[in-house]
Amino acid sequence: MSLEPVQVMSGQVAELPKVAPSSNGDSGGSWEGKREFDKDHLGLTAKPKPPKPENAVTVAVSSRVLFRTEREQKVFEQKGVEEYLRYQIEHENEPFAPGPAFPFVKALEAVNARLRELYPQSEELFDIVLVTYNHAHVGIRLINTINHHNLFIERFCMTGGSSPIGYLKAWQTNLYLSADANKVREALTEGIAAATMFMPEKMTEVSKSQLRVAFDGDAVLFSDESERIFKAHGLDKFFEHEKENEDRLLDHGPLKGFLEALGKLQKKFYAKGQRLDCPIRTYLVTARSAASSGIRALKTLRAWGLEIDEALFLAGAPKGPMLEKIRPHIYFDDQMFHVEGAAEMGTIAAHVPYGIAQKHNSKHNTSAGK
Amino acid sequence: MQCFESGGAEDPDGLYAGGIAFPLLQALQKVNERLLKENPAESLLFDVILITTESQQQQQNSRITESIRHHGLKVSRFCFSNEEDFIENLLNNNVHLFLTTNRNEALQGSQKGVLSVLLDEHTASCPTEQLRVLFCGDAVVQSEAGSALASKQAAQSFSTQLGKMRGRFGPFDSPISIALVTSRGGRESCGDALRTLRSLGVNADEAYCLAGAPRGPIKRLLQPHFLLSECLSSN
Repeated sequence: MSLEPVQVMSGQVAELPKVAPSSNGDSGGSWEGKREFDKDHLGLTAKPKPPKPENAVTVAVSSRVLFRTEREQKVFEQKGVEEYLRYQIEHENEPFAPGPAFPFVKALEAVNARLRELYPQSEELFDIVLVTYNHAHVGIRLINTINHHNLFIERFCMTGGSSPIGYLKAWQTNLYLSADANKVREALTEGIAAATMFMPEKMTEVSKSQLRVAFDGDAVLFSDESERIFKAHGLDKFFEHEKENEDRLLDHGPLKGFLEALGKLQKKFYAKGQRLDCPIRTYLVTARSAASSGIRALKTLRAWGLEIDEALFLAGAPKGPMLEKIRPHIYFDDQMFHVEGAAEMGTIAAHVPYGIAQKHNSKHNTSAGK
Repeated sequence: MQCFESGGAEDPDGLYAGGIAFPLLQALQKVNERLLKENPAESLLFDVILITTESQQQQQNSRITESIRHHGLKVSRFCFSNEEDFIENLLNNNVHLFLTTNRNEALQGSQKGVLSVLLDEHTASCPTEQLRVLFCGDAVVQSEAGSALASKQAAQSFSTQLGKMRGRFGPFDSPISIALVTSRGGRESCGDALRTLRSLGVNADEAYCLAGAPRGPIKRLLQPHFLLSECLSSN
């Protein structure tokens, strides 16, 4: 099916269009035509248009981490899928409560608001896409929930059980957050930065105005090569190896690209003199130590042209207390041990199931299903 | 439920090679098989009628029937018609869905209130084990003046039947999959489309709200056998 040539709609409010009431069907225009017509020239407080995927930093979030769906999960597990669908439709007008990814998404929106102020025409923004394995006819509850919480999510993907990975790739997804480790692993093998999120017992309050993202170093930002040495030969060999290779860059890890994307947006604030007031802040929280093994990490980051706002070298000390001070909206680590430790102290931590550490992980099981 | 196919390509062995609509026919057959498996007395089934207006093919009607048999397809009726009458034929045979690669035929069908769908080369590479139908929530509707209403009613009635068939199967492992794509609007327009489908008795399996993102990649992934848009248009 081909698109018809551009037709300008007359007298329409610059809202995202529903189907037009004209007699010969919708007179939709091309993407560019629509945008020029209604966005700035009418000066109305319209909902801003979602950016083109290639320009935006696309963050795909699964419904199970954006919202709390434990009750529904239980219905699914205990009573089966038919009952689960019936339950969802019955409760269609009851919005879900916020889940572990909710504060992160709200913070992304806050950054977008600041970016729009400074660069009204730019499409270099965060674009949040909702992804769910749910069947579409129960998706209405998700739409109602998005409305209820006033989230700016205009793109979504309800796959009715099939894998969303193809769609994530089509949308040039920069980060995928899900509750299901298998799906996350699938995304990682396809080259999409991804992490598994869990609902912590408590969530400490995080900033509403500054997005804070914390990363572990090895097997997250960097490859797991050094971890392999450590696991195979122990700490001394690890130090030796790092010293010998101090000037050789580490290979990149699955989340390097996301840090890069954050850095690009940060530079847009710096360019407008807002370095001190930047609404994005990044942290490296690593077990490496500053005096020795940390040097290689820093050199690598520098060579990649990536700035990280704060680098915390713990030299093996527990990460929990440090993270509690930072209060990131999300913390990425490849080891469940650290993810669990962080969560115990109320930090929202996400597991990146990448690299050698996965063979040595705790017996943590994520539940499958929707 | 009755579908018409038209046309077919020739091959040197004297049999017609699989045309564009082959996977579609196989998928329709699959649906029938599964429907009967669920309920051997099922009456809501797909009934496929092959129509051709090409006189060359009509002269070789045995070749067509041979080819059909050779490829294991189940066609209940053959209809040889000339170009002027074939629409009458569609109406007389109470066709619910007319599938063709010929744009003119599709337009003529629409004008007379027969739900007419244009197939393209993508249909040739669609799955054979599952019928995949895509509803376009805010697509451009190509209808001539006056035909819109009749065509829309035909679309709604077909959709309702399709929804009923889909309802014979559970959420997973269904031989029919119904997807909705809204291209330009945001979540509200997709929500509205879902509700409209629901009011027609169609429970969509998949929904993609693109809000301006490119449609091509999504359509390639979905691999629909055909697209429907009339029942979601505004008039």
